Amino acid sequence: MANRQRLLKLARIACGIVVLLGVIVMLASFRFGVLFSEKLWGVEPLAYLAGVVTMAALGFIWGTYVLQSRATQHGYHLNGFDSSLENWTKLTKQYFELYHHDLGRPLTRILAKERELRAVLARTGGNADPGVSELLDEIERQAPNFRLMLANIQVLVELEAPRKPDDVHPVEPAQVVRRIVDRYAGVVAEAGKEITWWSEPSEFGMVYSDPSAIEHIITNLIDNASKYATEHIEVRLTKDESHFYIRVWDDGPGIAPHHVPHIFDRGWTPEVSRRDEKTSSGLGLFIARTLAARNGGDITVESVTAPDPDHHTAFVASFSL
Amino acid sequence: MIVDDEWKSSIVSSVRKRLDQEGWKTHVVAPDGGLSIGEEFQAAALYTIEEVRPDGVILDVRFGEQMDDRFKGLSILRKILERFPGLPVLMYTQYAQGPERETAVRGSLNWDAPVDFIDKLASPEEVVLRMRRLFGSTPEIISIGGRLSLDARAKIVYVVIGDELRPVEDIIGMKFEILRELAATWYRSPGELVQFSRLERYSEGEDARASLRVRIREIKDAIGNALGVHFGASDLIINVRDRGYRLIPPKS
Repeated sequence: MANRQRLLKLARIACGIVVLLGVIVMLASFRFGVLFSEKLWGVEPLAYLAGVVTMAALGFIWGTYVLQSRATQHGYHLNGFDSSLENWTKLTKQYFELYHHDLGRPLTRILAKERELRAVLARTGGNADPGVSELLDEIERQAPNFRLMLANIQVLVELEAPRKPDDVHPVEPAQVVRRIVDRYAGVVAEAGKEITWWSEPSEFGMVYSDPSAIEHIITNLIDNASKYATEHIEVRLTKDESHFYIRVWDDGPGIAPHHVPHIFDRGWTPEVSRRDEKTSSGLGLFIARTLAARNGGDITVESVTAPDPDHHTAFVASFSL
Repeated sequence: MIVDDEWKSSIVSSVRKRLDQEGWKTHVVAPDGGLSIGEEFQAAALYTIEEVRPDGVILDVRFGEQMDDRFKGLSILRKILERFPGLPVLMYTQYAQGPERETAVRGSLNWDAPVDFIDKLASPEEVVLRMRRLFGSTPEIISIGGRLSLDARAKIVYVVIGDELRPVEDIIGMKFEILRELAATWYRSPGELVQFSRLERYSEGEDARASLRVRIREIKDAIGNALGVHFGASDLIINVRDRGYRLIPPKS
């Protein structure tokens, strides 16, 4: 797109030069043109010629401005690129970046104080009022939610942007899973649950993919599993000749079959179907699947509901190698 | 070594405390005030690395409120990597959630540069785990949750009773190797499962899985006896859905 804009600018500059030359020729033709064809017309043909060329160049310049202004009004550039949307996304991202820091800083401070207080309590014997302990636990429990919420807002803004070329880098999927499990291990343990991960083969190696997209997708899947698991969450990394797979399994009560077709819908939560108040945004799985699709991958779900003793839910994210 | 303009804040001090618990001595870079805070931190950071020769650096991205210093940490990172390639650096930032920027920075570095990013909302435990992985090697003595310690060089497992370390004499040979493998994995990534295939080399007989199960039981009994507790199926070493084992530190 930048190249086309540059070409357009060059064309306008060239036309501007033509207009300037045309005016010079028209003026000069009255003085010098008579030397060449005095008897042809009252005004020298060079002046006509220069006039036509000048008008054509002016028309071209005017035309490009009119077309561009109309295209911007309707959301399209001359080359079909969605410019208003792009500008909107850029602006939203700038606003978000401004507030990201300001949103994160107070929470960082609250968390720091909470951890400091926890450390003091542990050192002094820890006989705090149960209400105080509950408050400290709640703050710690909400930290991953807040981190994910900030990231989800950012990704939602990016999902609105026009598609960009694939941004692939060498990435170790095992490292990504490890980082996310680290993040959730504490919260999950406090809720009396366990999170375990492994890869097959154990030395999984490197793939070329979009690391931030993978991290975001798997974070949403693990966040979801940590809410619904009864006791265990398992994350398994596998691969075959063409794809690698990240399976997030939980031993929760499972997803009712009539809910399964909707779980990836934007804003859908189980409460929506009951017409109750939503307890979450319902964006996590929508974001995860949309991001996976954008990266040439997919997410599938398989679930067995209670009272079946094998009740569980497993999401499998697949990406090309 | 910690390079952060908010080095006096609770968030940095809680990380320092956790690093101290880990047995790592922390050194905070704190230059005197001046006109360009980012430049001063850069100079002080590079000078201190030269002087102190740290094993790793925790480096903030944003220094102060000046626009020029919003990403000063990234230019400090490049200088560190130029002068001290191989020195592990953990970028400690409010901006780790900006995936595009993080990806861009990663893309501009060598693929094997020991650099990682973590946001300031991360727990001190996460910071320690990232640093452990950046360092890459497992220490010879692994402290497992305060009640258990494994000395890989002396091949001895200790239980901690009060301030005293008591060796667990029954854990030797293959049993020690199994526990060492589980402890090393736990040290690097506490949630990671050690698959049967990696542990079965420490077992004998036709039924390697059964032999492994017996050895695990013996390890749990030996440590349980030394600590005066009984470890059930969901304590200390757990079998995860018949795929492998995982170490869980004994509760204090």
